[in-house]
Amino acid sequence: MLKILLLLPLFGALLLLLLPSRRVDLLRRSASAIAAATVVCACLLLADFDPTSAEIQFFETRPWNPRLGSNLALGVDGVSLPMVLLATVLCFVAIFSSQGIRNGAKLYFFLLLVLETALLIVFTARDWSLFYVCWELTLIPLFFLIDRLGGANRHRAALNFVLYTLGGSVFMLIALLLLYDVAPGHSFAMNDMAEGGAQLPLRTQTLIFVGLLIGFGVKMPIVPLHGWLPLAHVEAPSPISILLSGILLKMGAYGLIRAAGTLPAAALNLQDWLAGLALLSLLHGAVLAWRQTDLKAMIAYSSISHMGIVLLGIAALNKAGLNGALMQMVAHGLVAGLLFLLIGLLYERTHTRDLAVYGSLNRVAPRFAAFLIFTLLAAVGLPGSAGFIAELHVLIGAYGRWGGWLALVSLGMLITAAYALRAIRCLSTGPERPFGGTPAGVAAFADLDRNEIAAAGLLAAGIVGMGFYPAPLLDILASSVSRLAHHFGG
Amino acid sequence: MNAFAIFAAALAATPPLVALVPLLPLLAALAIAFRLLRGHGEAQEAVTAGVATAAALGALLLLLVLDLAALVREAAAVTILDDWLHIGAVPVRLSFILDAYSLPIATLVALIAWIALRFSATYLHRERGFGRFFLGMCLFLAGMLLIVLAGNAVLAFVGWELAGFSSWLLIGYAWERPVATGNALFVFLTNRIGDAGFLLGIGLATWSASTVEWTGLAEQAGNGSLTTVTLRLLLIGFTVAALTKSAQLPFSPWIARALEGPTPSSAVFYGSLLVHAGVYLLCRLQGALVQVPDLMTLLAVLGLATACYGGLCALVQSDVKSALIFATVAQVGLMVLFCGLGLFWLAALHLGLHAAWRAYQFLLAPAYMHLVHGPAKPVPHWLARRRWWYTAALQRFWIEPLTHGLLTRPTLLLGRDARALDERFIDPLVGAPRPDEAGGDEWATDELIRGHGLAGRALFAFADRLQILESRLLLSGDGALMKHLQRLVNYADAVEQLLEQPRYLMLMVMATLVVIL
Repeated sequence: MLKILLLLPLFGALLLLLLPSRRVDLLRRSASAIAAATVVCACLLLADFDPTSAEIQFFETRPWNPRLGSNLALGVDGVSLPMVLLATVLCFVAIFSSQGIRNGAKLYFFLLLVLETALLIVFTARDWSLFYVCWELTLIPLFFLIDRLGGANRHRAALNFVLYTLGGSVFMLIALLLLYDVAPGHSFAMNDMAEGGAQLPLRTQTLIFVGLLIGFGVKMPIVPLHGWLPLAHVEAPSPISILLSGILLKMGAYGLIRAAGTLPAAALNLQDWLAGLALLSLLHGAVLAWRQTDLKAMIAYSSISHMGIVLLGIAALNKAGLNGALMQMVAHGLVAGLLFLLIGLLYERTHTRDLAVYGSLNRVAPRFAAFLIFTLLAAVGLPGSAGFIAELHVLIGAYGRWGGWLALVSLGMLITAAYALRAIRCLSTGPERPFGGTPAGVAAFADLDRNEIAAAGLLAAGIVGMGFYPAPLLDILASSVSRLAHHFGG
Repeated sequence: MNAFAIFAAALAATPPLVALVPLLPLLAALAIAFRLLRGHGEAQEAVTAGVATAAALGALLLLLVLDLAALVREAAAVTILDDWLHIGAVPVRLSFILDAYSLPIATLVALIAWIALRFSATYLHRERGFGRFFLGMCLFLAGMLLIVLAGNAVLAFVGWELAGFSSWLLIGYAWERPVATGNALFVFLTNRIGDAGFLLGIGLATWSASTVEWTGLAEQAGNGSLTTVTLRLLLIGFTVAALTKSAQLPFSPWIARALEGPTPSSAVFYGSLLVHAGVYLLCRLQGALVQVPDLMTLLAVLGLATACYGGLCALVQSDVKSALIFATVAQVGLMVLFCGLGLFWLAALHLGLHAAWRAYQFLLAPAYMHLVHGPAKPVPHWLARRRWWYTAALQRFWIEPLTHGLLTRPTLLLGRDARALDERFIDPLVGAPRPDEAGGDEWATDELIRGHGLAGRALFAFADRLQILESRLLLSGDGALMKHLQRLVNYADAVEQLLEQPRYLMLMVMATLVVIL
């Protein structure tokens, strides 16, 4: 089942190459169908998954390069399964909503499906070499997607994105090689490397963990390493922005959780530093999001702020914190995905992302306004949305250790509320503003159509569903998270 | 005999029906409100009046049955229907009390209300707000019946508020006139003092007596399980509520202002029913009140003072309704005096008789001028001669100006100061946008993200710094890093070119050989 899930988008991508490149709609529909099939496949995986067991399930391995000790080892547990689901859903939404892409559609959909494969392998890899290879593999499609189809500054954005990530990867690679050196039987398998890591002196372990932290921190992003993110998010075409902030950032957080599981002593050693970085990211992102007038840039910075909450949850290293971090990853994946989707569709129609230009959207395009208001409120973490549950878990998890410092989190949330509400105010109140020379009062652009509502509704339903009934997701997480937390004595 | 036994058994099963008594007018009020919302409340007067009258009549008949049941089958006074809610561990039940105090008064309430409703149907014919009036009356009837029949303080408080609210609705009946709405507000606010007392009583009862049932309270007060201080405070709360509702000194002035509503409502509210609610509350609390003699003394003194006040003021009034209302106040003062002397049964008896008589008088008031022959009696000689007393009575003993000077004005001034503080310091600090600051309709980009107030400005400055820092983080083609890189590449190029020339190549080879050897 797992193999089918991983191969489906890859074969789908190859299949797309056979189709004629003129027929853009056919290409999009085929790609959508493949992505939908992947979602179904992931759901079947979910149905087969046994949430009571903390073991790796659907595990399969075969030697890849026996001399090096690398394996094609795959498997999922409670931590990776939600990420797999999120990845398939967001890829589907991204592909489904790519109606604006007309030029180079064949390459575009091909690269998207390859990207999906790489993403899924990253989340299911049980071998650090496979993980690393696919981690790097995601860069290639993304580089071309941003560089070919992005906005005005796309070359710079793509270059920054790749250079930053590669720079981080170098540290990650060195850290992994150090671990490989001490792993029993020279193997890249995650379990073996964890076993080997445990024998190292704490200082070395910490150094290795810092290396991994830099690698994952660039992706996540953690604040001093986030330079690539705003530009890439702003310049990428919207479907790619959905994937970038919805799932690519989660790769970093996911990797960090795995790294913490591999080197628990080092993670405990660096716990306070991680929390400090988390609070820094949280505030930095929130303040800069507040400073932006470009809608996409605002959401990009708010992603940094939200990933700060994820990092804080991870830093807590206890059950509630890790649960919260994973919840927040899913919640933010949905919220950011939905926001980028809506802003992208809006941009396609109005060709502006400047907040000051909009006004009275609820009269011109009521469905747009309703979805945007809903999503912005969900981004604040309003009770009833998934983000609320996540933030609550993180706060509970982190409170035990840092107590009063969490006032900074509240400050961040306050600023988050400030910019979200300001965006709502600017978008949906005030006078109607003309777009492209049409007089005010005339609906200058079309409201969401049925397909777009379906895509947005899917994500919105996820947000509300998890906000009101988070139990199923928490059940999936429960045993794996408690096993993970067990490493840290909590 | 057998038939009588069945009849008695049927009667014995009636007490749970008591819940229907206040419920009927409430349902009627709902029905009228619904019709008003649907927009045909005003058109079909007969239906509106019919619904209200039928509800009052239904309540009356039910009460008569209950009376009969109570007569036949010696009283089992308290009927508990269900648990309603819990305040902490203290249960509040849907309990009703059916004893020698509540049943006659409830019957009287229903009867007078029914008559007044019948009267109003013609009296208010073709008035605007016909439906509204009946809505208020039904609400009031429900509230008053709840006050009388409730077995515990919380349920009674529900009725108490319902009555107060409907009184506000009806005083403000002619809402177009500022006098009417002002008076309605005045009355409502004065009554809130009493409500606060009532709430204090409920709170203390919950806190220290762990019961809000009237019977439970009397019991606890009787067996001395409450400390004197608690009991006194608790009773002071309820007494303040009673004095306010019954327009005793020093809360009297509101009642003269309450006559603004249509006459039948004045009759029911202030002439006969609502004004007696306070006396009824005192009767209800008699078991506890007798434990605190000093409070009883206070009641007696206040009652006597109010009786004198009402009597004197009534003598100098020049219109029927005012004269009647001050006479009422005087009589109610007497009742409070009786309560203070411990003659609760006498107070209740007086209450019933007075209510019936006063309702009749008030309903007659609009036609009074036709009924009396000859001019109204002048002020009696003994009062006319004492100029100070006369002036005081005319000015209603200056109670209103006194409260205005001592309470209202200082409060208003405090409010003004607080507002000034808000506008001058707090608003600029927290950055509430002020009307004079709004920048018209130009939406400069910078204006959009600029914060207001201290916090907003600080955040903006901070965000600006961060933004500058942020742009440094980006790698760019013409950045400093790239320049250095370019220079490095140039050096490497030069070295490469030099190495390509044979002489340097030779030199390299020789140097290598030297090093090796």
